[in-house]
Amino acid sequence: MIRMLLRVLGPEYARTLRRTVILMTITATAEGLSYALLVPVLRALLGDTPADAGPWLVAFGAAVAGYAVLRYVSDLSGMRVGTTMLRGMYHRLGEHLARLPIGWYGAGRVGEVSVMAGQGLLRAMSIMAHLLAPFIAALVTPLTIVVVMLAFDWRLGLAALAAAPVVAVIQIRTARSTAAADAEGHERDKEATGRVVEFLQAQPVLRAGGRSGERFELLDDSLRELRRASRRTVLATLPGAVGLTLTVQAVFTVVLALGAYLALGGSIGAAEVLTILVLAARCADPLLSLSDIGGKLRGARSELDRLDTVLRAEPLPEPREPVRPVRHDLEFASVTFRHGGRTVIDDLSLSVPQGQRLAVVGPSGAGKSTLLQLLARFHDVDAGAVRVGGVDVRAVSTEVLMAQIAIVFQDVYLFDGTIEENVRLGRPGASEAEVRAAATAARLEEVIGRLPGGWAADVGEGGALLSGGERQRVSIARALLKDAPVVLLDEVTSALDPVNEAAVHDGIERLMAGRTVVMVAHRMRTVRRADRVVFLDGGRIVEEGGHDELLRRGGRYAGFWEISASAMRTG
Amino acid sequence: MRPSQPATATGPVTATGPITTTDSAIGSATATATGAAATAGSPAEQGLAGLLRPYAWSFAGVVILQVIGAVAGLAPLLAVVELGRALLAPGPIDHGHVWSVVIAGAAGLFVRLVFTAASAGTGHVLDGRVQLAFRRRLAARLGRVPIGWFSRRRTGELAKVVGQDVSAVHPFIAHAPGELVSAFVVPLVSLVYLFTVDWRLTLITLIPVVLAVALVPLLMLPARTREQEEFDAAMGRIAGSVVEFVQGIAVVKAFGGSGRAHRAFLSAADDFVATFSRWVRGVSAVAAGMQLALSPPFVLLVVLAGGAALITTGGMAPADLLPFPLLGLGLTAPVAALGHGFDDMQAARRAVGRIRDVLAVRSLPEPAHPVAPRGHRVELRGVRFGYRADHEVLRGIDLVLEPGTVTAVVGPSGSGKSTLVRLLPRFFDPSHGSVTMGGVDLREIGSRDLYRTVSFVFQDVRLLRASVADNIALAVPYADRDDVIRAARLANVHDRILELPRGYETVIGEEAGLSGGEAQRISIARALLADTPVLVLDEATAFADPQTEQAVRRALATLEGDRTVLVIAHRLETVADADTVVVLENGEIVERGGPAELLAGNGRFAAFWRSHRSALADEAGTETGAGTETGAGTETGTETETETETETETDDGVSRGGEPR
Repeated sequence: MIRMLLRVLGPEYARTLRRTVILMTITATAEGLSYALLVPVLRALLGDTPADAGPWLVAFGAAVAGYAVLRYVSDLSGMRVGTTMLRGMYHRLGEHLARLPIGWYGAGRVGEVSVMAGQGLLRAMSIMAHLLAPFIAALVTPLTIVVVMLAFDWRLGLAALAAAPVVAVIQIRTARSTAAADAEGHERDKEATGRVVEFLQAQPVLRAGGRSGERFELLDDSLRELRRASRRTVLATLPGAVGLTLTVQAVFTVVLALGAYLALGGSIGAAEVLTILVLAARCADPLLSLSDIGGKLRGARSELDRLDTVLRAEPLPEPREPVRPVRHDLEFASVTFRHGGRTVIDDLSLSVPQGQRLAVVGPSGAGKSTLLQLLARFHDVDAGAVRVGGVDVRAVSTEVLMAQIAIVFQDVYLFDGTIEENVRLGRPGASEAEVRAAATAARLEEVIGRLPGGWAADVGEGGALLSGGERQRVSIARALLKDAPVVLLDEVTSALDPVNEAAVHDGIERLMAGRTVVMVAHRMRTVRRADRVVFLDGGRIVEEGGHDELLRRGGRYAGFWEISASAMRTG
Repeated sequence: MRPSQPATATGPVTATGPITTTDSAIGSATATATGAAATAGSPAEQGLAGLLRPYAWSFAGVVILQVIGAVAGLAPLLAVVELGRALLAPGPIDHGHVWSVVIAGAAGLFVRLVFTAASAGTGHVLDGRVQLAFRRRLAARLGRVPIGWFSRRRTGELAKVVGQDVSAVHPFIAHAPGELVSAFVVPLVSLVYLFTVDWRLTLITLIPVVLAVALVPLLMLPARTREQEEFDAAMGRIAGSVVEFVQGIAVVKAFGGSGRAHRAFLSAADDFVATFSRWVRGVSAVAAGMQLALSPPFVLLVVLAGGAALITTGGMAPADLLPFPLLGLGLTAPVAALGHGFDDMQAARRAVGRIRDVLAVRSLPEPAHPVAPRGHRVELRGVRFGYRADHEVLRGIDLVLEPGTVTAVVGPSGSGKSTLVRLLPRFFDPSHGSVTMGGVDLREIGSRDLYRTVSFVFQDVRLLRASVADNIALAVPYADRDDVIRAARLANVHDRILELPRGYETVIGEEAGLSGGEAQRISIARALLADTPVLVLDEATAFADPQTEQAVRRALATLEGDRTVLVIAHRLETVADADTVVVLENGEIVERGGPAELLAGNGRFAAFWRSHRSALADEAGTETGAGTETGAGTETGTETETETETETETDDGVSRGGEPR
């Protein structure tokens, strides 16, 4: 656990953390040792000479003061260190997230990472921070007390010591069995969440079929499965908790009985026995709290696990001596790329001469978008090489590579800010006039005219206040402003209504002029503007050539368009 | 390292008594601000009480078991006390008495073990039952709210209410009742006992508790409350900036150097940490002081000093001292309990709030006396509608959809097309005017009748993780396999289904995934199978591939006859097929008529058409080029799509772009 915490924190905080842990251990030990002074105090008070307690009481008071100082220092330093670490963690995570390849950010990741970097980090750190001291105290203080007991009476001390190995074994076993149950519970949780999402999204259809909540068996099954899993978790934790309590109580009973026996036999004074029993009672409570703390630590652990997984994801390696490509022709040389256990691109070779346009056509799942992503190095290839201007993209620094490429995605994300800010992202140093010119070329002006604040209009989180086509136009303006020699277009016009489509096409036409272009296309109108077409299926090039040439050939490509062509005939 | 130290302000970690508190940092931020007052009688808890009423007896059982167990836990301590009395008593020791005391102590421990275990066990079982009941109630409620209500919420958030939020109630149910009650009952019993032993020393024993409580007001100073607010705000900024950072990562990277979102995140984090440390600095001294006051060594010091004074100045028998160091420590439990699991409790309270919000949503008003529609002529009269009061999306729509005709709606995005067609399946009720079917207002038609009459194919198709056949037959649960197959053929997806590992029995999302276009075709098959007299179709724009386009066209062709069809058309080919075209702009119908007629006129539609004529010419040109009759492109269906675009992602498909296709 500590090891994982250290790994998540990173080496620079390891030493601080260790120092804090040591301070906490010393504090816990001091607490246990201070109880040693209870023995003479109680012996005096319970014995015949209560007045003798005075000096011992003063000594105990001094010990408590010492403990108080230690504790205060350890608490305050803990807080200081904690906040520094929190800041460090935010920075570490932030830097790391920024370095991870875009390919790493799948659809599910976005939500997951947002939650983790927001609440999760804080939760992990604070739970850990808050549990560490009690956990150390619950282990160290009783152990110290047992040592004190041993010093005063080895028989009673030994009896108490018997609890230690049993407690250790129980702790370890419980951790193991609950980990399994937790994992299963987590699985069921995910499954049920999936069902709920499905249930919500399919509401219209489900209602049409007369299946409301109670009657949708798939959902109800998974909800019941969830309860079964939670019951199993309880069953997995219960033996540990009961076992711990049983052990601690049994040992306490043994000490009580043994103490009574020894006292009756006269081999130990009544005051000593009673004092040791008071100490034994002091031992029992922290030990009993262990199962509670243990449970909470497991909760923190799962947060840490998630953090650890993210922090261990490898960013794409940066070249040590980056090369700057001079030309901007593009080339795939025997590229193979696997993702999620599937070969997405399968030994594919192709090249696009500088200034030419390549259209990529094919059924969904053929690997079209992946081609673009490999060019922009969202992922690294498993075999072969992707080259820009004859240079392997892995040998180009990310910044230089990105400066070469303008991408217009199918889904456009806009930052919460004004339209102008979002366009300017393409080239932060651009002049006012350049920004305006790009916006005009992308036919953004009518959008700006429609919005209440014009240029200064806020686009909302993720661009929510603009329609899909309007966002697309902002992103084209952005790409125009960037003025990069290589342009990648991903099914840009497939999600547009006719008006937007016309506007976007105009913008695209301007964007493509004089540049090296790779475009994924679904519409023949787009394809016809390309110099060359490749038809992709299963990650391989099935056919390639000019549009007309391929149609004449009457193969897969021609077959692909046949449907829409025949559809148009009847229309 | 305890950045969370202030948490202990109200929840010091005293390893004493039946309660061992380990509350975490952040919650107690609020803890200090709202104090103990928040624990009782907040509306959330009242709501919770209402939901829990059916389980009152079981809860009482859990609490009683826990209290008995906790009180029995005092027995061994009392046994030590009695042992002390027996041993310290002048004269010969009564062996029999000593052993019976030891046995009583052991018995007490055993009772404690059995009862607390039983309480915890039943508590958790009860928790499971309550959670299941909550989730079922939520599901039932969500199955009845107006469909339009969903469109304003993220599915992921709702799923979180049913999943995590219900789980978050756990401490309320399984832990809080028993532990809180025993945290007060046990010290009370001890206190009464201690008073009977020696009232003076009892008062002295209470000194640490009084000290700790006296410090509480210092944690509730206005400055602290303000810091608390700043703290919440800073947390909110972190959450906001991280979403922007992560969602926009592709843009940030693709446009190189900017690093804008990254910086925003880091500065939000720094802000937060600064606020956090300010707040920590504010409360840390006080919190540490409380910690110390309640710490066992300090309590013991006070008790023993008081005891020494009382014994030496006479008046107190030494044996009477013994109960105080043993039981006195437990008196701090209530103070500790106030902060117990405050973080969890706060989270639970918020979760309950969200659960209640969902349960409080009013379901779509069902007519008291449902009227069956007579025929399926659809008429919209003066329909106005807005999602918000200040912004109307539809501004006076009059439209008649005759049976046996196809009506195409065209218009720029944001013109209200989607909203208009969603009125037919009654996802929303219009704010003014009426929608009638067969002469009956939709609001007077029972929902079962309505959904038997209207079916719809929308763009955002979601398939269930169930077999393909079940997915197609969703609206017609007992459909014949032959009918299912016929619908699938018509929807151009039959061949693709046969390629799946187990054909129609293949479970989507588990054994195979379908592409967006294929999912859309399944949904068209669904509508074809449902065979309702009214069909609403939002023509696909995303994921549109030639096969899907053809499926839509076939569906429209097949459905002719007596059906009423309303389609949002994105393709001019579809428009050309329609009987009537309606041009929507800014929530108003600006033009209507037959496609040829509108084209001949020189209005908006003609402008539309012209702006696309070049495109059409482009594509029509290929018609001659592709003249060779290659068998209809069914062979393109050989794609092996393992990516599950239909999988149940909770983020409403935030960035599909990042995933390799």
